[in-house]
Amino acid sequence: MASEIRRIHEDLKSKKYTCTDLIKDKLAQIEASDLNSNNLVLTELALEKAAAVDAKIANGEEIGLLEGIPFGLKDVYLLQGTISTASSDMLKNYKAPYTATAIQKLLDAGAIPLVRENCDSFGHGSTSENTVFGPVKNAIDPTRVAGGSSGGSAVNVAKEFTTFSIGGDTGGSIRQPAGYNKVYGLKPTYGRISRYGLMAYASSTDCVGPFARNLEDILILLNIMSGKDYHDQTTIKTEEVDAAVLEGTPEAKKFTVGYYKSFIENEALNPEMKADFMAALEKLKAAGAEIKELDFYDVDTLVATYYMLAMAETASNLSRLDGTNYGGREDEKVLKDGYMLSRSKNFTEETKRRIVGGNQVLSTGHAEEIYLKARTLRTQIMHSFDQEFKETDIILSPVAPDLPPKIGENLKKPLSMYLSDAYTVGFSLGGLPTLTAPVGTEIGMQITAAKGQEQTIIEFAHLLNEVL
Amino acid sequence: MEKLMTLDILSSIKGAEASEAVDNLFEIIKKANPSAGDELSSNQNIVTLDGLRSDEVIVCSETERNLIIENFPKSKNNYLVVSKVIEE
Repeated sequence: MASEIRRIHEDLKSKKYTCTDLIKDKLAQIEASDLNSNNLVLTELALEKAAAVDAKIANGEEIGLLEGIPFGLKDVYLLQGTISTASSDMLKNYKAPYTATAIQKLLDAGAIPLVRENCDSFGHGSTSENTVFGPVKNAIDPTRVAGGSSGGSAVNVAKEFTTFSIGGDTGGSIRQPAGYNKVYGLKPTYGRISRYGLMAYASSTDCVGPFARNLEDILILLNIMSGKDYHDQTTIKTEEVDAAVLEGTPEAKKFTVGYYKSFIENEALNPEMKADFMAALEKLKAAGAEIKELDFYDVDTLVATYYMLAMAETASNLSRLDGTNYGGREDEKVLKDGYMLSRSKNFTEETKRRIVGGNQVLSTGHAEEIYLKARTLRTQIMHSFDQEFKETDIILSPVAPDLPPKIGENLKKPLSMYLSDAYTVGFSLGGLPTLTAPVGTEIGMQITAAKGQEQTIIEFAHLLNEVL
Repeated sequence: MEKLMTLDILSSIKGAEASEAVDNLFEIIKKANPSAGDELSSNQNIVTLDGLRSDEVIVCSETERNLIIENFPKSKNNYLVVSKVIEE
């Protein structure tokens, strides 16, 4: 599929329709939807920006590629002056004092924010049911979950309410809902896009990334949002991805593709998806790619390592939310009692579970036995990736073990939810770039490369579109 | 002497209890056997000393300042109100 950003850009330039008409049409679709994908519609702001684009075109001025393109942002990004809730009661009246760097870059390029998108509260979930705005329904089968935590963003892109949306991925929160809703979703290399203005879940794996319906739009957005940022010292300098990789047909024989035996032998993997995955590998082999089976950690160890570290980090990050300076406050005579009541009343059950788990992990005794051991495991997992990428260009894997569950099915089974992240969390621990492409199996495939190799991933995804 | 804290105090969450799902994850880590020697990999998400930004004060905009004040949960007669702090 060709770039929709470019198509809309050409339509606006040729005055096929006005930007105001485009935005009004999208807003009407969003208002009519019952999928629960949005927490706040930014009608006034969007129409004001659309009128400015129309005025430029009417004056004969050039417009940039992103000018007038409607997008959505997960409700964990700060956009100055808008209510930014993290899908929680804690922040239901919180007004963002500044704008996240990634979002500011899109605004500077002229993109128009339409909606703040529903998600799991503070990113704590894999189904977008852990939200005070009600569960997000899947774009393809509304009886099923949208996936999470960036469920609303994936649904908006799948339903074409937005041209693209910006999600956040800590342990799979872009890649899994992208698969569940059959769109592209990219988690870039850790540090490639600034986290400034993204409400922190687990800072050592939090990543900003785009959802789109085609590869070229993913590439365009990645290039716009990437770069070092004064406000985020973990940002890294990276090369632009060359759009030429999407021209012509790439050669399969230039790729060595690895896959993990432990992922495929996981008993939880849906048999039909396993067969489709193996068939895709066969097609790649027939096209000339070299296929390698790789040994890797068992999925339980990956999930446990990730969750121990993520819970420890979120317990620390969310300790600032006590109702004193901002957020929901429940007043008590004694300050400490006020903290406790504010947090008890305004966090969801899943968020509280993760905070409590994180504090257990960091407490005396557990810190040595659990936290430090999980850190050592993480280091070894990263080392293992380093070794594998000396011999492979791409690691191909399923997105999740099974189809999206029915709404309500996993809500009371947190361990089932954690284990559904089996195929995404390892790459998060490695800080690796990973793209979900809606090809190969019912919920797509994950394409991973070494750090900084987003170009290889996009080129390979282009190949998959030709081969599968 | 080491002071023991209950989970609800530690987390500032009333009635906080250990969860079976999280306990299951603890058990997996306890049983895992990481090989020795990889604790100090160079492949960490770290910032080098040379890459640290200057230690400087940046004054925020008037808009940002006003929004921060607007977010404060309670005020009275132009003062921001907090609960009384009682030392234990």
